[in-house]
This record gives sequence, structure tokens and C-alpha cells, in this order.
Amino acid sequence: MSRPAPAARERQLLAAYGAALVALSFLHHPGLLALLLALVLLAARGDAGPLLRRSLGATLVFNLSVSLGYLLLQAWQGKLGTGTGHYLLTMNLRVLLMVFLGFWLLTRVNLLQALAPWPTATLILTLALGQIETYRRLLSDFRLAFCSRHPAPPRLGARLRHGASQAGTLLDKSLAASTEASQALRSRGAFDA
Amino acid sequence: MHIPDGFLSPQTWIPAYGLAAGAWFWAARDLRQRLDESTVPRLAMLTALAYGLGLIMVPLPGGSSGHALGVALLTLLFGLRPAFLAYSGVLLLQALLFGAGGVTALAVNALAMGLAGGAVALLLFRLLRPFQESLAVLLAAWGSVMAGALLLALVLGAQPLIASRADGSPLFFPFAWSVTLPAMLIPHALIGLGEAALTLLVWRYARRRGWVQTAAGSPVTP
Repeated sequence: MSRPAPAARERQLLAAYGAALVALSFLHHPGLLALLLALVLLAARGDAGPLLRRSLGATLVFNLSVSLGYLLLQAWQGKLGTGTGHYLLTMNLRVLLMVFLGFWLLTRVNLLQALAPWPTATLILTLALGQIETYRRLLSDFRLAFCSRHPAPPRLGARLRHGASQAGTLLDKSLAASTEASQALRSRGAFDA
Repeated sequence: MHIPDGFLSPQTWIPAYGLAAGAWFWAARDLRQRLDESTVPRLAMLTALAYGLGLIMVPLPGGSSGHALGVALLTLLFGLRPAFLAYSGVLLLQALLFGAGGVTALAVNALAMGLAGGAVALLLFRLLRPFQESLAVLLAAWGSVMAGALLLALVLGAQPLIASRADGSPLFFPFAWSVTLPAMLIPHALIGLGEAALTLLVWRYARRRGWVQTAAGSPVTP
């Protein structure tokens, strides 16, 4: 059997991911969710460790705040029991599995290629991603330059002046970069009706 | 204030996707005619700014997060439809790249923060602009944050009613409105002040560059 074309493969993976999210929303058994998580980790092979760490990092603070809040509420109402543990396991495993699948998807799918059937969404996302990269690079340059100018910890005033000038430069540079990108798009007919 | 994956019941997020699909279609209709090579760079720049703002977040005890949005800014400068579409893109990127918010909650987050937040910002701005423009921008931004927070608190707090076991224990988000409403609204009333100040600063930056659209200075119509 022939392999699907890259764009079709991207859409198939996206559809499979969507179907998995729907299915996971209807599963409420912690054992089953744990088994699925183990299977997904096995399937991700070498990516499993880094993706799991990333997923835990993304979910830990929020899930911890909900879990502790729920635990305290149950204890305060005198309702602590196996049901509490069952709920906490189910909720945390489901969230972890969903987030892991999202990160795993990104290692397999080019998002812009998957969104190709929606040209307006692709146009805005392409330009926004370009600007995000511009912001990231500029922030890093500014931070390093600021550190090199201040061998001792800087005062609040210096930090504020630095922040204000950095914000202005970020907006100007980002605008210049996206103007350049949109002119390139214009020359390729992206704005033609 | 994103709702993460796994906290909303399918009875909530699947119909929300249906509603959002209609709203996305409405927002994308004739958008290409409304954008040109001068507005697209600005939209991209401020979309990226909204993306950055949304990532600086603090967790709230009600199971969500507190952060600035940038929705009011996008709406006041580009109109409701482009802003809603751009902010939906921001939410998608944040969900997939950082696990901030979630794909299952994307439609609810986009409708609450992007559409309702943007609509409230536009309404307040138009009502108040004849009196004092800066005040109108400040209140529009604060109002957009509060509108989004209110809707998300209502959706989260409804989860125990929508989806729970026979014994009453929750299947998804566990807290009722008595927890979600104060947990979302009180911190966001403060976060909204920061958002308002930031929106005014960027609004003034945009005015200096002549980005405000019409002769009367009104924003692009939705």
C-alpha cells in the first residue's frame, strides 16, 4: 500500500488526535487511563521522556491547585474517601494524557501544513509565528546586553528604563519584520482576491 | 484565564465547538478583503504581543489562570472579527506549544475571551469614547478581561451540574459557582487594571503611528 501524501498525512494525524480527545473525554476509569498513558509512552519511544517532562511541567501547577483545593474541600466537608482518590486519579491522568498527546502531535505534524485548507488561518498564524520568533530573539539579545552592562544587580529604576525601551524597540522591530513578510506575501499574490 | 484540557465535559466542549465554528466562519468571511499589506503586519505584531502576554500567567485556586489578554487592543485597532480570529490563533498556539489552555477547551476559551471579551471592549469603547478617549480605552480593556473571566467562571462552575456520577462526585471540574466566581473575578479585577494600563500604552503608540482607522477615529466596524 502506498504512503499517504505529506499534507494528507498531516490531516489524518490531526483527525486521529481529535478523535482521541473525544474518546478520552468519555473515559472515567483511572486504570484504563493509566494503561492508555503507558501505551502512548511506549509508542512515543525516545520522545517519551522529554515529552512527559514537558507535559508534567505544563500541567503540574494547575492540576496541583485543583487537586489540593478539592482535597481540602472534601476533608472540610468530611467526605474524604475512595471516591476522592478515584476522582483525583482520573482527572490528573486524563489531563496528563491529553496534554502529552498534544505535544506528541506537534513532533509529528507541521501545524501550518495541517492548516493549509484554511488559507486565512494559515496566513495569520504564519505571520504571528514569525513575530513570536522575532520577540523571542530580541528579548534574549536585550537580556544579555542588559546583563553585560550591569556586573552588579541593577536598581529598580534601571530595570524600568530598560523595560520601557525594550518594549518600544520590540514593537518597532516586530512591525518592520512583519511588514517585510507581508510585502513578500503581497509579491506572491497572497492579498489578491 | 485559560481553561486547560480535561476540565470540561464533552457535553460542554463539543457544542461549544459547533458554536465557535459558526463564529469563526463569520469572522473569516471576507476577511481577506479587509486586510491588506499595511494592516496585516500590525495584526501579526499585536497577535504576537497577545500571545506573549497570555503566557505570563499565575494559577488561580479555582482551577484556571490569571493573565493579561490583549483582546481589547486587537479589537479596538482591527475590529471584532479579525481580533476574534487572531486571538483564536493565539489560543491554539499557546495550547499546542505550551499546554497553556487546551485543545478541547479552545472553543470555550475563544468564545469567552476572544468574542465576548472583544465585544464588551468594543461596546464600552463606543459608549465612552465621546466623553474621554483614554478612559474609554481603559474601561474597554478592563471590561473585556472581566467579561471573559465571568463567562469562564460560569462555564467551569456549571461542570459539577452537567457531568457527575450517581453519588454526586464530579467527573470533570469539581468546584461550583460559589468557588469559581470569586476565584476568577476577584484576581481578574486586579489583572484587568494592568491590562487596561498596557492597552492604553499600546493604543497611544498606535495613535502616534496613525493606525486608528477613520477620520472620526472610530475603530474598524465588526
